[in-house]
Amino acid sequence: MKKVLQITLGIVTSVGGFLEIGSVTTAAQAGASFGYKLLWAILLGTICLIFLVEMSGRLAAVSKHTVVEAMRGRFGFPFFFVVLIGIVLVAFLVLVAELGGIGLSLQILTGIGFPWWAVPVSFAVWILMWKGTFSLIENGASMLGLVTISFVVAAVKLHPDWGGAAHGLVPSFPADQKAKYWFVAVSILGASISPYLMYFYSSGAIEDEWDETYVPINRVIATFGMSLGGFLSMAVLIVAALVFHPKGIDIQKFEQASLLLTPALPKWGFFLFATSMLFACLGAALEISLAIAYFFAQGFGWNWSEDLTPSRDARFCFTYTIIIMLAAVPLLFGVDPIKVTIISMALTSATLPLAIVPFLFLMNDPIYLGEHRNGWVSNTVVAIIVLISFVLAVISIPLEIMGG
Amino acid sequence: MNLVRDVLDKELLDYEEEPMGRVDGLVMHVGKSSQPRITHIEVGGAAPWGRVHPAFARLAKRLALVWGPRRREQVRIPWSRVKAVGRDIKLDVEAKDTGAIDWEIWIARHIIERIPGSGSEEADDGY
Repeated sequence: MKKVLQITLGIVTSVGGFLEIGSVTTAAQAGASFGYKLLWAILLGTICLIFLVEMSGRLAAVSKHTVVEAMRGRFGFPFFFVVLIGIVLVAFLVLVAELGGIGLSLQILTGIGFPWWAVPVSFAVWILMWKGTFSLIENGASMLGLVTISFVVAAVKLHPDWGGAAHGLVPSFPADQKAKYWFVAVSILGASISPYLMYFYSSGAIEDEWDETYVPINRVIATFGMSLGGFLSMAVLIVAALVFHPKGIDIQKFEQASLLLTPALPKWGFFLFATSMLFACLGAALEISLAIAYFFAQGFGWNWSEDLTPSRDARFCFTYTIIIMLAAVPLLFGVDPIKVTIISMALTSATLPLAIVPFLFLMNDPIYLGEHRNGWVSNTVVAIIVLISFVLAVISIPLEIMGG
Repeated sequence: MNLVRDVLDKELLDYEEEPMGRVDGLVMHVGKSSQPRITHIEVGGAAPWGRVHPAFARLAKRLALVWGPRRREQVRIPWSRVKAVGRDIKLDVEAKDTGAIDWEIWIARHIIERIPGSGSEEADDGY
């Protein structure tokens, strides 16, 4: 039973990957501009993420080491330092975007501008981490994140053309707006395949004291958790395709996206959207803050655990305290969270190879994984993901300039 | 044993299996009439930064003199204290006594324990 309840780790991880400000805005933008045509990008991102998350959980369960610990041990400090700079910088921008997402949700609920929420929101995230345990964050974020099921309810209520949606699962080439089409596709992949998810999930597996007996359930957790996230993200795209696409409305602002649920749920739609975004961004902000602190602590060999009192892992707590404080600064000065989101998604794509390439070597290392090393299926999938990550790395920045 | 693959960058655990940093450097003694042998493990300080670029090592040394525990010398643990080499390196030392967690203790005492709810008031907790 305890193992089955670990599904919350999968749900909270998928919230950070699929149900945060980046994924929701890109899915909504995709639906509004291209109808169902970009559903394939979410499907591809989901498949990639299922494999990557399963592998990071397997590595942790078998070796009792997280991805970051194994990467530092296997590739040395100079390589770790390069990855640290790339991944932490991008994760920091995503954290700014998520804190801004909470602020924007509160802005549309209260009418008070998001810069005013920067400090209270950052303090709330910090206090949850300071006082909370890993299971509180894991279970709390998972439960609250489930309010996003309202997107599925709205999608069903709007009676979509399921045949057309199924066609969208197969990649197609657009006749016009090519740069924008590929920019949104790359953004969806960048928002979904976020390296910090692997770092968070493998750290969570260590926090939850997984061992080799968790290898089979890890497959179920990774598959179910990421599929749920992908499914919800597809629901956002479908609703946007039905609400905005026929009217030719192109989503440029968060306030526009907030009307997403209103046609299907006239009474509660606006409130549900705001609370969905609030809880989803809160879960993602907690996940990213933890992932950054885990990255430093594990890479440098510090004491770390969200379950320890702060005085027992001082450097770990100091790291997330500083990171959260710094992330509030741009928001305080009114930097647009949506712009930060767009930049961070393109940069996530650009830095993907840094995270994925070492992973391929680690997952084939008998010292860490023994008989649980990758088989040919997993290796083929990771090789394809590596290929995708290189393509995304090369095209993401030019596409941002042309299509964004 | 392959020193780079099996020892360098591995996590160090003290006698209570508490993390105390990573193997950031290895010191080798090369005698005129004896075989070269590893004498010490270097932990923290400028050791890892010097492996990226000497300028980073110089910067780390300077910063260490103006802020934090202000330790001048590099933390070195005798190789003779290594108990086991596996996925981690197990030592028969207490982390606190080696200087490897000076920064952890300094941050705990000067910053973290001054914030309410840090757990420092609990018995046997904190440093």
